[in-house]
Amino acid sequence: MDAQRAEVRALEAEIAALQRACEELPAPWEGTARVRKSFQETHQSDSKRWESSKDLKSHLGHLKSELSFLSTLTGFNIRNYTKQTEDLAKTEMTEEGIKKVLQRHRLSGNCHMVTFQLEFQILEIQTKENLSSVITDLNIIMEPTEYLELSEFVSRAEERRDLFMFFRSLHFFVEWYEYRKRTFKHFKDKYPDTVHLSEGSCSSCMEIHSARRPGFELVIVWRIQMDEEGKVSPKLDLLTKVPGRALELDRNRVIETAPQSFRTLLGVLGIEAALESLIKLLCAEND
Amino acid sequence: MERAHTICQDGVSSGGVLAHLERLEAQVNKSHKKSEELQSAQAEESALETKIHQLRHIRDKLRAEVKQRQARAKASSANVEPDQTVEISEQDVLERKQENMKAILQAYHFTGLSGKVTSRGVCVCISTAFEGNLLDSYFVDLVIQKPLQIHHHSIPGFIPLEKIAAKYLQTDIQHFLFSLCEYLNAYSGRKYQADQLQSDFAALLTGPLQRNPLCNLLSFTYKVDLGDRSFPFCARLLYKDLTRTLPTDVTVTYQGMETLSTAWEKQRASHETLFCTVPLHRVFASFSREGEKLDLSLAS
Repeated sequence: MDAQRAEVRALEAEIAALQRACEELPAPWEGTARVRKSFQETHQSDSKRWESSKDLKSHLGHLKSELSFLSTLTGFNIRNYTKQTEDLAKTEMTEEGIKKVLQRHRLSGNCHMVTFQLEFQILEIQTKENLSSVITDLNIIMEPTEYLELSEFVSRAEERRDLFMFFRSLHFFVEWYEYRKRTFKHFKDKYPDTVHLSEGSCSSCMEIHSARRPGFELVIVWRIQMDEEGKVSPKLDLLTKVPGRALELDRNRVIETAPQSFRTLLGVLGIEAALESLIKLLCAEND
Repeated sequence: MERAHTICQDGVSSGGVLAHLERLEAQVNKSHKKSEELQSAQAEESALETKIHQLRHIRDKLRAEVKQRQARAKASSANVEPDQTVEISEQDVLERKQENMKAILQAYHFTGLSGKVTSRGVCVCISTAFEGNLLDSYFVDLVIQKPLQIHHHSIPGFIPLEKIAAKYLQTDIQHFLFSLCEYLNAYSGRKYQADQLQSDFAALLTGPLQRNPLCNLLSFTYKVDLGDRSFPFCARLLYKDLTRTLPTDVTVTYQGMETLSTAWEKQRASHETLFCTVPLHRVFASFSREGEKLDLSLAS
């Protein structure tokens, strides 16, 4: 009897478990209806999908060309973007009729040789009268990091949370950078024996010296500056190296006033012509 | 028992018989009990047997039911996925790509410069902001043809659009757009400062703020209070560089009758410097804070 009682208990337990399992699975009549419904749905959306599969591919091509166009137009190539939205009305005490939304954005891409990664937050406050959007936080990571002018500028942009200024100034910086590179390369190609770029075409200095005029050296330092408001401008300076004997002979103090004269020359001739005139000074006669 | 004892007179066999009878009775009772117990045990056993049968039956039914439901559930989910799995996952990949691209297109707005391809060319949208506050947007509708033309735009008339276009539009469209960005952002910033001054610091102004539409020439009178004395000043801010949000020329003059003490002359000069280096509304914010500080110093 004990065995029987034990069996009864076991059977009751098994039945209870089976009943629970039954509850979790849909009843047969529900099941078929569900299957029918879900099949209909998928079939419909499938047919929608199948119809637009070709459309989807062509739309993608269209989007791709739009993106490439924007990239060419702005000079910025955005590779990745994500956004998170948080409705602050749930977590913060807000008055009636005021809606607060916090958006978190992540953006990364490049502008020529500079890659950037941005994280910023925008707080949107909607009252009855108006909608205001404020950038409440801005974090910028830029590479390469050896452009010192850029890192100072980045911290200023972050401080001011001035997202647009960052991009604007980045554009102008890169423009000047590429122009400097092209100009230096042009002169190096034209006067290979006289022009020397110690750091390659990306350097900020151009040295002019020739074997025919030993001891004389002119160095053009071309910096790209960014001011308080993010305005980018070139700053060129001339450094001279001259043998002592020549200095003694220089009664008109040409060497001494050279840096100043150079600046005047820049204003009159512009950068390229001013540089070329200096190169020609030390160049061989028959070049 | 008592009967047995009271009846018995001759002694020997009566006690014996009675006892025997008693023993028999007891035996019968015992066997009755036993049979009762046996019966009840048997009854219980058969009851349990029945119950076990019933339970087994129920359990088997449930097992079958569960099996059936599981089979159907599998079938219904299997129905959806047959050979379409391959196409669907490719679809998913493409759709995800589409979502990503659409998001990136939208993200271009955050560079301050965005555009949409139109049937004629492109419609460029320039966004402006000042100190993190997102302000107005402007658009320029360009027609792509030789020469490049501006079809229409929402740029205010006092922005030198034609000058910028003449300089850059045909040769370097990027430079044209970014240059326009500079002008528009600077204008937006100046306008924002002037608006903030009027709305938040009207109490410190002793007259209306005079401003031109380009917001590059501002003139106002304000006072600095120190205890019961009031020092009136007149400020004139000229923003010659239209790509900047800070003035290039600032003059602050004292409006009062008497000559300024050296301390206050210093104040006046410092105000001039402030207006040149700090946005207008923030200068006034510091004035109102300083006013509080000055009051406190007087009180002590």
